[in-house]
Amino acid sequence: MRRQIPLMLVLVLGIFFFIQFFVPSRLSTNIYQVSLQWLILISAFAIVLAIGSLVNHHLLKIKRRREHWPYSYATLAGLVVMSLLGILGRFPGLGLLDEIYYRLYLFVQAPMDAAMFAILAFYMASASYRAFRARSKEALLLLVSGFFIMLGVIPLGALIWDRIPDIAEWIMMVPNMAAKRGILFGVGLGITATSLKIILGIERSWLGGGGK
Amino acid sequence: MKILEKMSSIDRRVIFLLVALAVIIPLVANIGLPSRPGKYTIEMYGFIDRLPAKSQPLLIDATYSPSMMPELQPMLKAILRHCFARKVRVMLMTLDPNGPALCEAALREVAPEYNAVYGEDYVFLGFKPGSSAVIMAIGENVRQAFPADNYGKPLSEFPMMADVRNYADIPLVVSIAGSAITQGWVIYAGTRYHASVGAGCTAVSTADYYPFLQSGQLVGLLNGMKGASEYEWLNQRNGYSTARREAGKGMDAVSIVHLLLMLFIVLGNIGYLAGRRAAQKQ
Repeated sequence: MRRQIPLMLVLVLGIFFFIQFFVPSRLSTNIYQVSLQWLILISAFAIVLAIGSLVNHHLLKIKRRREHWPYSYATLAGLVVMSLLGILGRFPGLGLLDEIYYRLYLFVQAPMDAAMFAILAFYMASASYRAFRARSKEALLLLVSGFFIMLGVIPLGALIWDRIPDIAEWIMMVPNMAAKRGILFGVGLGITATSLKIILGIERSWLGGGGK
Repeated sequence: MKILEKMSSIDRRVIFLLVALAVIIPLVANIGLPSRPGKYTIEMYGFIDRLPAKSQPLLIDATYSPSMMPELQPMLKAILRHCFARKVRVMLMTLDPNGPALCEAALREVAPEYNAVYGEDYVFLGFKPGSSAVIMAIGENVRQAFPADNYGKPLSEFPMMADVRNYADIPLVVSIAGSAITQGWVIYAGTRYHASVGAGCTAVSTADYYPFLQSGQLVGLLNGMKGASEYEWLNQRNGYSTARREAGKGMDAVSIVHLLLMLFIVLGNIGYLAGRRAAQKQ
């Protein structure tokens, strides 16, 4: 029964909303609008789940004294402080807390986040030097295309030869797009097939337990 | 021959150091490489430039986190400057919980430059979870997705929102995103609700959006820092902005790093081919 109810809900609602798309009546539109609000509410619960999972993970880490457990205190403290500042700062008369939240985010969290991402540039430079080798004709073709794209997207490319941006544009607009279209068609058909399988109850892995 | 072979085994610390220098020097020194606006930047710019002043507001979705700030934040600021200079009204929103503070930072910097008034020239709708559900909800009624602005004030209290119900009243949706949410805007807002959609994305995801440009589902595309730099250049050329070209400076660093990477790849390949030839001789 625990599995049959969700399966039945998906079947009924899947078929209903498929038909609803083609029925422009007032009732049908109202149901659609209410369902959209429900969807937004359900999405908000995903954040609650994520916070619960994060707190559980770090409390367990502290309790069992796992490797680097003291850092979990920093994570939990950050979560509590930022949440309190963000929530309380919205109350009248407590605008200062909102300002502190804004500054902490912009001058502490944002630079840390951006710095972590920026480190990728160094690894990418090192990796492209080691891996981007003309080992075959195909690899050579990729190398030449990559060169034109890299030159085409920087102002220096046009200064070296004014046709380089056009060549880069052609690579993006013709060979790249041919491949992308193929992938998009494949993904589209895959989504349709998977959706049908879920609606009809053939695909059940979303219920958990490996589809058993 | 050994020198050639050694080219394929440069110490990675040397690479890291040179990359750091290639980023830092152009940011400190004022190189100012010229910009040549691309076709899709011009199309996006032209679309916004043709919108009449004080007309219905355009909707900007700034869905990105600080890791994408260097590419996307200058893009948001450049579009805001263009709109405020031309008195085109703006609704700003985000579908990323990291987004509100970044949007707020852009508005705090740009709005005073043009004396833009909150509620008359722009409204900040804030963050809403639900991604595609929010996009579809705006198609029904923007108040369904955002009953109030980011600060809790009902949308009905803003004069500029009086005649805005759904996408039919929004001349353009601009999705500035570091994720695949732009496809959601194309699919739901564009295809289902017939909204005009433009996009700004990170350079690494540009290739994904070319099919939508060719099919006309995107009115224009800003390609990473390059697109932002071109937009800044167009703003300055048309007298809409005198602000420092943030992305233009970043583009100088990107240009030098690209050249350095290409040099490394060439050296690596020379070393690889020399090594292969030596192995064949033996």
